[in-house]
Amino acid sequence: MTINGLIYRNFKKNLPHYALYIFALAFSAALYFAFVTLQYAPSLAEVKSSVKGLAALKVASVLLIVIVAVFLFYANHLFMKRRSKEIGLFQLVGMTKKEVFRILGTENFLLYYGSLFAGIFFGFAASKLLMMLLLRIIQVETKVSLYFSMKAFGQTLLVFTIIFILILLINSIFIKRQTILSLFRTVSSTEDRAGRISKAGLLLGIIGFVCIGAGYYISSELFNGDFVTVRALYTAMISILALVIFGTYLFYKTSVRFVFYLIRKKKGGYLNIRDVMSLSAIMFRIRSNAVLLTIITTVSALAIGLLSLSYITFYSAEETAHNMTAADFSFIKTNEAKQFTERLNENNIPYEKEEIEVVRVTADLSSLFDKKSKDLKFDSKAVPIAVVSDAAVKGMDVKPGQAVFSGYSDALARFLPMKSEGMIDLTGKRKTARLRTVALRKDQVLSNYFSGSMPVLVTDDVLFQALKKDTDPKIQLNSNLFTGINLKKDEDLDKANQLFQSLHFPSDSFAYSSPEIIKMQKENMGVMMFIVGFLGLTFLVTSGCILYFKQMEESEEEKPAYTILRKLGFTMQDLTTGIRIKQLYNFGIPLLLGLAHSYFAVKSGWFFFGSELWTPMLIVMGLYTLFYSVFALLSVEGFKKAIRDSL
Amino acid sequence: MILEAKNVYKTYGNKWNKQEVLKGIDLNVEKGEFTSIMGPSGSGKTTLLNVLSSIDRPSRGSIEIEGKALTKMKDKQLAEFRKRHLGFIFQEYHLLDTLTVKENILLPLSVKKVSKREANEKFHAVAEELGITDIQDKYPNEISGGQKQRTSAARAFVHEPGLIFADEPTGALDSKSASDLLNKLSRLNEKRKATILMVTHDAAAASYSGRVIFIKDGQIYSQLHKGTESRQDFYQAILKTQAVLGGVQHDD
Repeated sequence: MTINGLIYRNFKKNLPHYALYIFALAFSAALYFAFVTLQYAPSLAEVKSSVKGLAALKVASVLLIVIVAVFLFYANHLFMKRRSKEIGLFQLVGMTKKEVFRILGTENFLLYYGSLFAGIFFGFAASKLLMMLLLRIIQVETKVSLYFSMKAFGQTLLVFTIIFILILLINSIFIKRQTILSLFRTVSSTEDRAGRISKAGLLLGIIGFVCIGAGYYISSELFNGDFVTVRALYTAMISILALVIFGTYLFYKTSVRFVFYLIRKKKGGYLNIRDVMSLSAIMFRIRSNAVLLTIITTVSALAIGLLSLSYITFYSAEETAHNMTAADFSFIKTNEAKQFTERLNENNIPYEKEEIEVVRVTADLSSLFDKKSKDLKFDSKAVPIAVVSDAAVKGMDVKPGQAVFSGYSDALARFLPMKSEGMIDLTGKRKTARLRTVALRKDQVLSNYFSGSMPVLVTDDVLFQALKKDTDPKIQLNSNLFTGINLKKDEDLDKANQLFQSLHFPSDSFAYSSPEIIKMQKENMGVMMFIVGFLGLTFLVTSGCILYFKQMEESEEEKPAYTILRKLGFTMQDLTTGIRIKQLYNFGIPLLLGLAHSYFAVKSGWFFFGSELWTPMLIVMGLYTLFYSVFALLSVEGFKKAIRDSL
Repeated sequence: MILEAKNVYKTYGNKWNKQEVLKGIDLNVEKGEFTSIMGPSGSGKTTLLNVLSSIDRPSRGSIEIEGKALTKMKDKQLAEFRKRHLGFIFQEYHLLDTLTVKENILLPLSVKKVSKREANEKFHAVAEELGITDIQDKYPNEISGGQKQRTSAARAFVHEPGLIFADEPTGALDSKSASDLLNKLSRLNEKRKATILMVTHDAAAASYSGRVIFIKDGQIYSQLHKGTESRQDFYQAILKTQAVLGGVQHDD
């Protein structure tokens, strides 16, 4: 048979092995091409001007290519290892290394460029979809046409060709280095086979747990005010990262093994088939996979964390807007409010108007804060706050001598933890009133012009009237009347916003439109979310694929063990149950750890991004877990096949 | 009678390219017997053992073990049967690398509802007899070939199966380890009344058993009974038959 014939046959025979590799490569090529196309797309010109999306897209495409390159190198490494026997055999029958290289190179070339072009084709088709999705997220309305960018095509081809050349280079070094003998041996040499746990190992295992725990602890303290300077904050962040990554590594290297070892020891040598398939098999491998698993965990944590944060921002857009405006539209000048309501009347848009008088006083809030006022960035004994009457706020009734804080949002609770009950003193120009605060409410009463992002105090009307007569002019604002306009029907919001915009209020008049703020927020965060979302997806696909490949490699290596077990009379069902448990650990441990990492990362700083933590974060985590499980299921199928073929 | 095989045929390949490996074998094994099957390479020894032990299915004929017809069982039932009623010793040991010696041995007990204490007792009894108590916490890659094969034997005996199949158990051992293992096997055969069916091409190994069945080209050629003979005499008799049998001579 000629070498060309051999290449052809090899290619045909190996194709099924490469199925997922082809998929992953095509997927990443498609994504990259689509991303680059977006950069050159004419329909994005609008977005470019309004948002700094272009730079973000560029950064994202660079990140994307880095991930893809790492993934491709790793996959190639696994495939070379798997085929080392074949390479040895070729050399044994007298082929020169050059010819072996030619065979593998050609095969690689066909596979690589085949998938690449398929990917570019799909990327081309998907680019329109992505574009529509992007524009939909950022709520820009413009027509999208299918657009093939030669520039994007050239760039994709160039980048992937560079990766291909690097892969060839690595392969040639691999072939050059190996002797026939060592090639036959590669499969088993990488696994760590001894099973004992040393004292040092035990210690490292405990250190692993401690490192992760310490990292988590620092992360939860990160924005509590202990780290004030940028430098301290930066150092803390770096040390969190280092602690968690190092801890994760030790966790895989020793901790997991140690825990499994304890379980196994407790069984006193009496293992059932499920333990054999899961516990002992994992114990033997997780150590040598420590680096890989650490990378996968970190990458997943990063992906989940970023996805959560951007989704939190997107998700909280409405609440953030509401915190600012406290109504659909809010004004501080009565004449502007009147202009707007006239327009609403002209257009037959039904609305409700509320007007709230505001008095600013100096309050001594020191009894509400745990920390000494020294730690706070302001003097808690003299805080300027806005006071309104309970008569002006719908559904509120405050007893004399009492007061309620309203507008105490989640984010505020994080930054400025306050006690719900305590005694406070309000000082006007001359008199001082002593009140008992009885509750903290979330509802926003005033726009942030009045509240200054602090909670607003609601008192009973009698006291409010007294405070009004005794105002200290030094701390009063230009306006002391808040006007909020809420539409009766949500579907009128767009129309009303257009009317609002057409009036062109100057920005120093603090007239807010909540639909406009939401739109701006979504526009800003939409591009970020879109990019982070797709990067996260790439992380997911590549790390899932790598785990899957690794598992398939293991299934090949464990085949002899399956043969033994089946000869002894264990049924396929017995073995499959064990495999399911094993995959639950193999995929579940990195996932759980990744989720935990990202949870603490998100928790430490989410309040900079939005006002809702749980719902958006859990949605992101749930989706990630769902997609990730697909790879676990695929690998179980792969193992089933290996078990079926083993006897 | 613990094993009864009637008219067993085994063919490989398809309609056009058939290769008959077993051509009508009748074979009976009594309870408590230590029987060897001998024959030259390619005579179908291992195929016969695989078919008898339910790892492979015969193309034709019937096989009964302890009165149950294997040929009528489904794959899953067969596996279940193997797990509970049969023991195996293989030439390549077939130990799981990821388990310690003790864990390997106790594996067959995990399917029966045996308490941990009872399992421990059984392990100690069999490990004592095979002399592997000292190495119970070692992994297979840390012990010698002879020790591996004794571990494999212990695994075959531990759940007290009705019938133990041994496929060239001494094939990969040096002569000292081999005779050591065979002594232990025949002692277990006597002491536990365990029935052993062993395939070997080594006359010395076969001389430890009570009966030797010779097969050639997929058929039974002859049988030798040890009776009251000494092992040495029996060994000579086996050698003679082997010579008559022709085929390829083995000088080991």
